[in-house]
Amino acid sequence: MMLIVRSAVPALALLCLTAAPIAAQNKDDGLAIGRKMLADDNPGELWVERGKRLFFEKRGPKKASLEQCDLGVGPGRAEGAFARLPRYFPDTGKVQDLESRLLTCMVELQGFKREDIVKSRFGTLDRDSDMEALVSYVGSKSNGMKMNMPLADPKERDFYKAGEYLFFRRSGPLDFSCATCHTEDGKRVRLQELPNMTDPKQMQMVVSTGWPAYRGTQASVRTMQHRLYDCNWQMRQADLGYASDLSVALTSYLNHHANGGVVQLPGVRR
Amino acid sequence: MKTIKRALVLAPVVIAVGCVSFPDAETARSIGEQMVSEAYPGMPEALTRRAAQDPAQRICSKVGDAKLTPEEAAQVVQASSAAFKYPASNKLAGDWKVGAKLSADGGGMRIRDGQVEKSKENGALCVNCHALDPKDVNVGNVGPSLTGYGTQRGNSEAVVKYTYEKIYNAWAYFPCSNMPRLGHNGFLTPEQITHVVAYLIDPQSPVNKR
Repeated sequence: MMLIVRSAVPALALLCLTAAPIAAQNKDDGLAIGRKMLADDNPGELWVERGKRLFFEKRGPKKASLEQCDLGVGPGRAEGAFARLPRYFPDTGKVQDLESRLLTCMVELQGFKREDIVKSRFGTLDRDSDMEALVSYVGSKSNGMKMNMPLADPKERDFYKAGEYLFFRRSGPLDFSCATCHTEDGKRVRLQELPNMTDPKQMQMVVSTGWPAYRGTQASVRTMQHRLYDCNWQMRQADLGYASDLSVALTSYLNHHANGGVVQLPGVRR
Repeated sequence: MKTIKRALVLAPVVIAVGCVSFPDAETARSIGEQMVSEAYPGMPEALTRRAAQDPAQRICSKVGDAKLTPEEAAQVVQASSAAFKYPASNKLAGDWKVGAKLSADGGGMRIRDGQVEKSKENGALCVNCHALDPKDVNVGNVGPSLTGYGTQRGNSEAVVKYTYEKIYNAWAYFPCSNMPRLGHNGFLTPEQITHVVAYLIDPQSPVNKR
């Protein structure tokens, strides 16, 4: 009896957050067809392969692999990790998304300097980013599983609610919040479609089959941290801190809306 | 099997308790504000201060489906209307050709690696969200279509003044509208706004041609 009640509570408690109405999905259009064509032969697979190699290779000043890195489902386990992030980690005392957690492992286990990883977080044409590869690999290890981000720990609920507050918070020379562009169906900036992030179906497109994604215009895989950085840039704010609490809180808010979506990563984007 | 059923029947009670343990709005706000203050490490104060909110922005940040109260709406309108600035010439409709270029320019003031984007002037961003020239298909739809704006409204002094003020500070007419307060925030100069006004209302402007 006790066991049953315990296991039922976290799952059911989530129901009170997922009451947003489900709106019609975007109709198929030219861009969707293009994405489908790219997805059939996704260049992101190259990042997955490289990420897998980097995950098991002994690297950094401490010559260690990431096989002792706990992404929330046990040391070295990548399977299902992405689907349950962000979450609270007692060893750091922080709520962390995948990138924030990988950063912790690369610093603590492998001895890399945090500032070096942050500096090379986004790949360029001359230099690949290890982080983009690792995120692709770990993300792909949740493929076929449903997003199931927990809100069991009070800190996770703090981040979720702070993320919601931040999503609607307007500031800057253009008075933008995330909500300015992302709370209605069928909206575009120029021809770029804007997902309605209050709609779980559309959020699943963004999260469970969204980021990390191979971006055709950038010839690279980009991550959710990069997506948030880029939005923040368009909003005319200063460079968003990598793995900052603000970025993780927003990710908590967004990922939780995507719970139930079947993961298929990396995605493919314009 | 019976125990499972009983657990499910009890579940609503447990859910109600579970929901209460979320932080309240004031706590979420204070955690969120702390996060904002730490979100831009290594950035100079001149740039991070952009993330601070003015009183109207605070009012206009309703969470979820929460609505503005009439008092709040009045406060935003009043503060916005009281702060209009006009060009030195006091001529509110400028050169539509300059306005056409500005309306399609989506740049200005962006920050990369701590450096503010270098540009002679900020763009007016119009086309990102509004249809204007009926021949231009590469237009957004976050805001309403403004195709035929001048044809529909004419170019009387009242229309020109309203159009200028609407672009200068949209919140004076539509409190907390999605539209940025382009003049009020100093993103566009009063002179730039006069050119955009001309692009909207001039009978020769593509906006008003078929």
